[in-house]
Amino acid sequence: MKLALTVNGARRDVDVPPNATLLSVLRDDLALTATRFGCGRGQCGACFVIADGRAVASCLLTAEQAARMEITTVEGLATGNDLHPVQQAFVELDAMQCGYCTSGMLISAAALLARDPAPDEIAIRDALAGNLCRCGVYGRAIRAVQRAAG
Amino acid sequence: MWDRKDAERLEQRIRLETDGTVTALSGKIDFGQGLRTAFAQLVADELDVPIERVNVVLGDTAQVPFDFGTFGSHSVAQETPRLRSAAAFARRQLLGRASARLRVPVDRLDTDSGAVIDRGGRRIPYVELLDGTPLAGPVPDEVPLMPEQRRRYAGQPLPRVEARDIVTGRATFVADVRLPGMLRGAMVRPPGRGAKLRSLNDAAARKMPGVVAVVRQGDVAGVVAERDDQARAAAATVEAEWHLVPVEGPSADVPMRSDPGVDARLAGASLRLAQTYVLPSIANAPIGPSAAVADVRTDGATMYVGTHRPFGVREQVAKTVGLPEDRVRVLPQITSGSYGRNSHADAAVEAAILSKGAGRPVLLQWTREEEFAWAPSRPEALLEVTAGLDADGRIVAWKYDEHTNVHTAAGLDPQVLSVTSGRNAIPPYAPFAAKVTLHIEPTRLRTANFRSLAAAENVFAIESFMDELALASRQEPLAFRLRHIDDPRLRRVVERVAELSGWGGASPPRHGRGIACTVYHDTYVAQVAEVEVAAPGQVRLLNVWCVVDPGETINPEGVRNQIEGGIQQSASWTLLEELLHRDGRVTTTGWDAYPIATFNDAPASIEVLVEGDATAPPTGVGEPGAVPTAAAIANAVFAACGARVRQLPLTRDRVRKATAS
Repeated sequence: MKLALTVNGARRDVDVPPNATLLSVLRDDLALTATRFGCGRGQCGACFVIADGRAVASCLLTAEQAARMEITTVEGLATGNDLHPVQQAFVELDAMQCGYCTSGMLISAAALLARDPAPDEIAIRDALAGNLCRCGVYGRAIRAVQRAAG
Repeated sequence: MWDRKDAERLEQRIRLETDGTVTALSGKIDFGQGLRTAFAQLVADELDVPIERVNVVLGDTAQVPFDFGTFGSHSVAQETPRLRSAAAFARRQLLGRASARLRVPVDRLDTDSGAVIDRGGRRIPYVELLDGTPLAGPVPDEVPLMPEQRRRYAGQPLPRVEARDIVTGRATFVADVRLPGMLRGAMVRPPGRGAKLRSLNDAAARKMPGVVAVVRQGDVAGVVAERDDQARAAAATVEAEWHLVPVEGPSADVPMRSDPGVDARLAGASLRLAQTYVLPSIANAPIGPSAAVADVRTDGATMYVGTHRPFGVREQVAKTVGLPEDRVRVLPQITSGSYGRNSHADAAVEAAILSKGAGRPVLLQWTREEEFAWAPSRPEALLEVTAGLDADGRIVAWKYDEHTNVHTAAGLDPQVLSVTSGRNAIPPYAPFAAKVTLHIEPTRLRTANFRSLAAAENVFAIESFMDELALASRQEPLAFRLRHIDDPRLRRVVERVAELSGWGGASPPRHGRGIACTVYHDTYVAQVAEVEVAAPGQVRLLNVWCVVDPGETINPEGVRNQIEGGIQQSASWTLLEELLHRDGRVTTTGWDAYPIATFNDAPASIEVLVEGDATAPPTGVGEPGAVPTAAAIANAVFAACGARVRQLPLTRDRVRKATAS
């Protein structure tokens, strides 16, 4: 099935099997591997992307559905060498360990700050509650989002 | 026991490259513990180069010296002296070369930020001293190290060197590896562990879209296809007939300590108390399920994996695909934290079989269901402890029986079992007569390495029981512990955490604080947890304070991050986690049935004070933070509502029932 996706501001033409998930198309057809597979059921947040302004699980969207949306992945957060404020804050506060869930957290945080530039801690926790982290950097990540909102 | 004692060779540790960068080599693996950063700090100091010029290569079996594996929080402890000696030796060789070239005695030369300098202001960058002759040779046992005041990086809180790659998505995790012609694999799974494959009907699978090969080797079968979903769909159509063979883990009884007179002293004690503590199976549950990329050819193989044991993977893969070990290169990639799970090379071996069968590189990505179903888990534990106190409230006798399943594949030698499956079963308190016995009991579940092995279980029992003994003898829990601590470093972290947390102050209603401590592989940790218990028994973790003494501290920020993470993960085990299983099979398939702590469960603060004894050698911090947390929380729950819960997780039901009794 031929589709035209809009990813990180650019049109990307793909030819993929029907029902291919957005996640598999990002990773396997567009070489955008920062969006990671975690569970395939929308339960962990590792594969979150911003779709029309909202953080969503790309494992639950088909590429066909996504073709009607503006998609942003972690690769599209920075502007050239300038990191997005949440990326910068995560680096400064060492808000990661293994880094596997980091992409999903950054996506949730960026989507949050785009709609609420000054969220309180409860809003941050709620916005990131769909992002599981096993290494346990929750506290640092909350502080990083606060700093990015700064 | 964990190390081969070959002499270290400089060329296997430090390489000065022709572009002026330095490559530091280690067989250890960074899963997020910050090893790469700490190792760069050590080498930059000893070699006297800016840290930006140091690249750390971890685990590439074609380059690094042999290493038994990354576990036990040993990495910094083991590698610090070796990397320092090698880097210092490299610096001495460079000084020697400069001395010959300048005809100036070595003692009139020095180094400065990547160059040799003399007193006349001449300056030779290291790279100019290479002359096509790499630095090499056996590293002497005693190499003079850089004086402490000249170390610029060790001891400084530095951010992780990979941080920028991770936040921009440039970091290549195992499943992000893309090779030309690479295919995707999916396994055909048996009905149970160890099942024998009798027959396979793959006629339908071979006709499915994208399928390149159906591969079988022994009892392992899988499908290789152009796309992941195609491989999975085809694997689901393979009809396999299996013969189930019951698999049972080993059993053993290991006396770990047998002081004379324990029974007599218990019989004669003024106060005797016995309790039993129970912990369920829990899953390592990495956020990234197992994955591996194998490129197996007739003359050699390259493996892109996540592993704690690159040389172990090399050995296993070589055996599996029938190649000599020196034809197999294992290239560990950045990997989802797996907390011990990747001590087993499951996906690597399967991917190698698929790649060999298909004759192409293959990426095998396990599903979440597969990860829960087939990964090993932390064993259950039942801990029985009895102690006797004298009339003065001092412990005089201690009897402890640990019942658990085997925690590692390291073997059944009693000495190995005591330090793995029996880890931290001996309490850090003194002086009293103790009898400590480890009972390894068989299980049909697949059990294996999880962060700190049995230490988290044993310390939950020991530190909960210390509070129970204090209560039974009308002593204050902190003071009761201090009476039984001889080791000044343990005493110090316990006293400091009490200060840091304001121990002994008043708490609001239904709030409570609990304390616990441990010594884990020479790292000293004490924690205070504060909880609120809502009326129906719901526990909320509010704050945790921790003081840690890991000896000389290379990267205090890295230490804090590891300890915080250990506490957060352990809080999740304690309050939420239980792996469901029946007849030796895990029945949990997803996060819905295995909830772990989320952002909404994280405490308001985890405050970690790193107070390393700078005169003591560096010790590890990857595991110890997770060890005392369960008891600190359970003790806090008791302080908050009077419920003594001796079984994890501390569910609402258990807390409510314990409150009622």
